[in-house]
Amino acid sequence: MKNTIWVIAVLLLAFLGDRAGGYVLGKITHDSQFRYSRLYRGGENCDLLFAGNSRGLIFYQPYIEEKTGRPTCNLSYNGMPMDLAAVLIKDFLDRNSHPRILVLDVTMLDKRMDSRLVTGFNCYVPFSERLSDLMRDSFANDFFAGQVAHLYRYNSEVFQRAFYYLKKSDEDWLLDRVISPTLQKEVEKQAEFDYEFTPDMLASLAGVVNYATQKGVRVALVVNPYYPPFAEKIGNLPALKKAIEQATGLTVHDYSNSISGVEGFGDYQHLNKNGAKEYLDKLMEDGILGVSEDLGGGDRF
Amino acid sequence: MPARLLAYYFEKMIFNSLTFLVFVAAFLPVYFMLKGRARLWWSLAGSYLFYGWWDWRFLTLIAISTLVDYYLGLRMGQTEGEKERKHLIWMSMVLNLGFLGFFKYFNFFTDSFVSMLQGFGLNPSIHTLNIILPVGISFYTFQSMSYTIDVYRRQLEAEPSLLKFATFVAFWPQLVAGPIVRASDFLPQFQKDHDWDWNRFTSGTAQVLWGFFKKVAIADSLAPFVDQCWHEPMAFTSVNLWIAVIFYAFQIYCDFSGYSDIAIGFARILGFDFPENFRTPYFSQNFSEFWRRWHISLSSWLRDYLYIPLGGNRGGKLMMYRNNMLTMLLGGLWHGANWTFVFWGFLHGLYLIAQRLLGKSFGNLMRQLYFPAFLKTGINITLVYAFTCLAWIFFRSPNFGIATDVITNLVGFENFNYVSIMNKFIVMKGFLLITMLLAVEISDLKIQWGGVVQRSPLFRVASFAVLLWLIAFFGTFGSNAFIYFQF
Repeated sequence: MKNTIWVIAVLLLAFLGDRAGGYVLGKITHDSQFRYSRLYRGGENCDLLFAGNSRGLIFYQPYIEEKTGRPTCNLSYNGMPMDLAAVLIKDFLDRNSHPRILVLDVTMLDKRMDSRLVTGFNCYVPFSERLSDLMRDSFANDFFAGQVAHLYRYNSEVFQRAFYYLKKSDEDWLLDRVISPTLQKEVEKQAEFDYEFTPDMLASLAGVVNYATQKGVRVALVVNPYYPPFAEKIGNLPALKKAIEQATGLTVHDYSNSISGVEGFGDYQHLNKNGAKEYLDKLMEDGILGVSEDLGGGDRF
Repeated sequence: MPARLLAYYFEKMIFNSLTFLVFVAAFLPVYFMLKGRARLWWSLAGSYLFYGWWDWRFLTLIAISTLVDYYLGLRMGQTEGEKERKHLIWMSMVLNLGFLGFFKYFNFFTDSFVSMLQGFGLNPSIHTLNIILPVGISFYTFQSMSYTIDVYRRQLEAEPSLLKFATFVAFWPQLVAGPIVRASDFLPQFQKDHDWDWNRFTSGTAQVLWGFFKKVAIADSLAPFVDQCWHEPMAFTSVNLWIAVIFYAFQIYCDFSGYSDIAIGFARILGFDFPENFRTPYFSQNFSEFWRRWHISLSSWLRDYLYIPLGGNRGGKLMMYRNNMLTMLLGGLWHGANWTFVFWGFLHGLYLIAQRLLGKSFGNLMRQLYFPAFLKTGINITLVYAFTCLAWIFFRSPNFGIATDVITNLVGFENFNYVSIMNKFIVMKGFLLITMLLAVEISDLKIQWGGVVQRSPLFRVASFAVLLWLIAFFGTFGSNAFIYFQF
């Protein structure tokens, strides 16, 4: 009898602790200043919305806000796959005031993106029907594990970042180093590669473009810069652009080879802070960020 | 639940899988309901199901190995003539090592032979075979061999019951990744039925939970960072490689010792006592001590069945060095069919020899410097850990090119700074988990947590619940296989 009691006590304590811990961590997630917490809390009011994978982090918000005087939001995350980006953007548009321009880095359309990243967003599942559906469809085991053990929902880098940005802004999230000489040499040795995009990804992107357009948001599709010797290794960039243009009816603005100085790169796929500023100046000059023209909305780029 | 999901869930039979959870839930109640031969049959059936879940074809191999060693053991037990006994032990060696050699090393030696001929300008057309490596073959082969060798040495009576012997070879808790339990330790434990025992259940469960925490929370959390760095070492800055090397040392420790803990824990619940397989190896102050603390069941196997028969410490210093080196080289090769494993063994052989050659002078130097004891201990532990990490680089690398890249990048110290760390969140989590591990292991030296779990019901309830929370919060799930399964 005594032994049975302690087994029940373990299970009860484990359950209660899990629920209590889950509640506290859920509160942290909700109250955080991290981009997705702000997204799901609602009430964000920005003119410019950005999305992409880690390469989308170069939409350096403090600089854009300083230059344009317009509030910005960025939904980019390392390895962001297109299906997850689509969910986040749609949720953003449903819960926050509509931005005037949505800028998307289309290099998310690649199978090599981290499809498991969706599981990292388990901590936001209680806030979003769409996210919940995506997780249940793609990673049912993680979804159900999160239902059984609430602590499991917060078992991810995404939650760690939400915790880290609990009281501070995440707008400064950008590489601040210069590509090393070894890495520069390493690029030369790399083989040519292709983007591996699928019809599903194209449909997902087209869905986002339509959804945003219906809500009066102008959409700009861009290819952010690569370290030039690396950009030369991409075999099918024209094919990717063409497929996207056919699927969305929008022009893809190709900046893949637009920054030449080594000093502007943190590694061969990412600009650093200096490079990001140089690139953003170009986007502003070209009117992609809507500075040189009317920000009336509704049109497509 | 859709069939697709069921297929996914029940794909693998490993400790950190749903398949295993279902297996244990079905196995344990019936096991304790049965007695005598019925229980043995149930254990054998469960073990064969556990193993056959990987690939039913593996069962043929383990069954042949079991039948032949059982028969040879019996014959040896009935035979007095030394010549015939020698004959029989050779047959056992040839069969066991033949299986191991063919399934694990055939392609390796063929490739190496072809490369060697190509080095002489020849171009032979020798083809390798498409051979599946049976999971855990190295473990059960060594376990089975220990039986025939002990019977040959007259240190163990031949086991008359085929059922007991087959269960000994295939016992599921330690079948695929050890610990390698000697027949002389294990077979006598089949003599009596083990009734359900709450004390064994609590201490076994504690060890199982601790093992799970080490595997799914620590090892599998460190793995992605390590894998990324090793995949393309030159693409990452030096500081990342340093972190990856430190992480790998703990990844492999937690992965392997985690498996051992789970195996030992389940065996204890079932009524069997297995020897410990790891004893805080990274606190070793010299390499002999390291090998008394790391994969103890293998190192003691190699000592008793290889090093000592080779001559051990007898025959002068040179012979001892040779025996040390041969044992470590073969120990390296046991791990896998790759020259990097052999080189890993070579490095450890070298460390053991260097320790014997320089250990005394180093000790004298420490004494002359009047370092306090704790500092000397710290220096010794750090040195052993650092050299162990150096060897792990070769163990982890698929080839010497990658190992060279890792080392070149490590010693280059290019961009060795905080901002160059690739993913600070994963790194912080990794170091937090390592700190937790070390805190428990260091405190365990004084407190003996296992004893506290037994004595204090309150602590037991709290510690089990905390471990479950930690596993849920830090665990990486998705049925990541254990590293040592490949060996």
